[in-house]
Amino acid sequence: MIKKIQSIFLCFAIVVTSFVGMGQVATVAVAAEFPSKPIEVVTHAGLGGGTDTTARMLLIRTRKNLKNNAYITPKKGDSGNKAMAYVKSKPKDGHTVLAITPTHLFRMARGEAALTIDDFVGVARTTVDPIVIFVNAKSPYKTIEDLIKAGNKKPIKYGGTNVGSVDHISGLIFAREAKTKIAFVPFEGGGAIMTSLVGNQIEAAGLNLDEGKDQLDAGELRVLAVMADQRMAALPDTPTLKEKGINASFATVRGVVVLKGTPQSAIDKLEKGFLKAMKHPVYQNYLQGAGLDSSSVAGSKAWDTEIKSIYKEARAALVSLGLAK
Amino acid sequence: MDIFSNISLILDAKTLALILGSTITGVLIGALPGLSSGMAIALLLPFTIYLEPSQAIAAMAALYCGGTFGGSITAILINAPGAPPAAATAFDGFPMAQKGQAGKALGMAAVSSVVGGVISLMVLITFAPTLARIAYKFGPPEYFALAIFGLSMLASISSKSPVKNLIGGLIGLFVATIGVHLTTGISRFTFGVDELFEGISFVPVLIGLFAMSEILVQASKSELLLERIKFSAIKLPSINEFKSCGKSILRSSGIGTFIGILPAEGGTVSAMIGYNEARRWSKNKENFGKGEIEGVAAPESANNAATGGAMIPTLALGIPGSATTAVILGGFQIHGLRAGPYLFEQQPDLLYTIFYGMLLANFIFLIFGLMGAKIFSRISLIPRGYLWPSVFVFCLVGSYGLSQSMVDVYIMLISGVMGFFLRRYGFSPAPIIMGIVLGELVENSLAQSIIIFDQNIFMFFTRPICLLFFGLTFLSLFYRPIKNLIYKGKKDE
Repeated sequence: MIKKIQSIFLCFAIVVTSFVGMGQVATVAVAAEFPSKPIEVVTHAGLGGGTDTTARMLLIRTRKNLKNNAYITPKKGDSGNKAMAYVKSKPKDGHTVLAITPTHLFRMARGEAALTIDDFVGVARTTVDPIVIFVNAKSPYKTIEDLIKAGNKKPIKYGGTNVGSVDHISGLIFAREAKTKIAFVPFEGGGAIMTSLVGNQIEAAGLNLDEGKDQLDAGELRVLAVMADQRMAALPDTPTLKEKGINASFATVRGVVVLKGTPQSAIDKLEKGFLKAMKHPVYQNYLQGAGLDSSSVAGSKAWDTEIKSIYKEARAALVSLGLAK
Repeated sequence: MDIFSNISLILDAKTLALILGSTITGVLIGALPGLSSGMAIALLLPFTIYLEPSQAIAAMAALYCGGTFGGSITAILINAPGAPPAAATAFDGFPMAQKGQAGKALGMAAVSSVVGGVISLMVLITFAPTLARIAYKFGPPEYFALAIFGLSMLASISSKSPVKNLIGGLIGLFVATIGVHLTTGISRFTFGVDELFEGISFVPVLIGLFAMSEILVQASKSELLLERIKFSAIKLPSINEFKSCGKSILRSSGIGTFIGILPAEGGTVSAMIGYNEARRWSKNKENFGKGEIEGVAAPESANNAATGGAMIPTLALGIPGSATTAVILGGFQIHGLRAGPYLFEQQPDLLYTIFYGMLLANFIFLIFGLMGAKIFSRISLIPRGYLWPSVFVFCLVGSYGLSQSMVDVYIMLISGVMGFFLRRYGFSPAPIIMGIVLGELVENSLAQSIIIFDQNIFMFFTRPICLLFFGLTFLSLFYRPIKNLIYKGKKDE
């Protein structure tokens, strides 16, 4: 009986290995004709979050443009590291795409991440969402200078998401560059930060515009400055920190990357497919609903340069703050 | 107010069919452990762009309503809460099914869910803009006080010994500390396992403690042959039974609506508090945990009321009141819409479509639930040799499916074995679950409050809402000793 089972297993194993072998041969043979199988987009966040929704909206038209199926694999855990480790284990053929955010870049900058900054190539940028400094509308701080001055007397209670996130780092860099002090209060998400700001639990917060837009329109919150190089189209009267001579530009940027070593022809096809999808009204309406500009979309070259510069700045910032070696 | 003059908004075949389909999908998905309505809505999100915005949002809201109710079906029949808010339903629902009263439990769950859901919807449509502002009054210190109030119930939440309940609660609190600390970013008890970085996921623990440990319990008494009378198992509750639960249902609907409004808390905590309050005020306290029908009515009305409650800040302020409503807000974005005060003033049609969609969803699952109760309750008649092995498959798939992670499956199996031994030594899962649910909130809100208060812990006593909850905590802890003291004093005279 046992022998019989063993022989069945053996047969099974042979069949399986030969299939796997064939699969490899097949991918090599058709590598020129990308895509040869469905595209997998790996995210690091939960279903329904910003990264997930952006990826889903992106794929709706990408499927049509590439005449190919595409799906999302969520790999949650360890600030994007799990997603990075998963992508690293995949072949460099362009069929596995990683959705990245500053979270991944900060994780890399702190070291011990599965991928390094030189392991991947940017394909397209999907959203740019600068961090905006909000205060309560009844707050005594009318301008960013008021806030900076107050922080010198007593640290400003400044809300943001988790320790080590773009909110946290940008707050610390802002304080350092503006020569003021903040006491960072971490929250689980943008909604909680916003309610705490309206409820006067904290004095200021770094939020994406969308997270505080309703309350801004309702006259409950005020914006003091945008952490960007240029003013936002939606906030033409709000100064940037750069204008004020404070060198702190930070945004929640999202985009897609593939592993370095992927054939250039595959990268080009992906880029074309993604960019065309993002020009479509389906994606543009989504951007508009989220309060974002259509200039969010950028191609491979611009996005790749941007990733590297964000990484470089983040690395320098983290080292100077003592959060990385 | 001309609430009902707008009903024509949903009276077209496509909208009705969508709401019907979404509600039933919601019930089925809610019933499966490991699949949640939030997940289902997130997956369906991209497809809704082909619908009218109001239809899309109404369908999502209907799915949300159905999903919350659906969790109770598996909680009652196989002790595997389909979603965390249904955990408290299993406390008495499953023992009822074991006693051959599955139909009664399911029928009561359907009716109390609808009452809770409809009450919260009425509150939504009439008072939403005013009530939503409660969300602003709740900062970290207030959440801390609320969580402390919740924890004060640990000792009394099950009829097992109070000391064992407290030990169970501490186990739960300990489990909640696993993962990264919010304000310091330091990881605790993760032993280098990436998956534990964000903490132990709740669903695998839930499936393990309830369903998996039940499988082990059942396996240990497989020699017993149970005789069940088919006719009584599919019997629905009588009018008198509904009447006897009336007070609990109303109380729970209020609790659920209120807690649902608070963005940091939702159905799970509402159901726990609803359950505990029902037990506190009940004449048959001792029956709780052994198959008391009020123990099904209370958490079910509370968690469904929390569904409507969670929509209040979502629609009126654009602040998600729960994980699922956060996804629904994503749906607003996809259609280029905004929730918030604007919705109430300028887009009443959209608002009414959502309201009627949810209202209709409640009546659909009432009919589905009552008719289905007779069919579903037959599951409790399946011989255990066939039933429990298939539940085991459910447990595995449910805990894996959550985030496609084997670590979650191991967590489920470990919790199952632990749950088996804990139950064997007289511990109830209720305080453990309560500890896990409130553990993170109590820890995070305390850490945040301390920063906000400049390290001065006494500042808690300058907050009216904190004082209110501290007062309630004091009453809930010392009500009985004080009452006994007064009573004794009178007797001595």
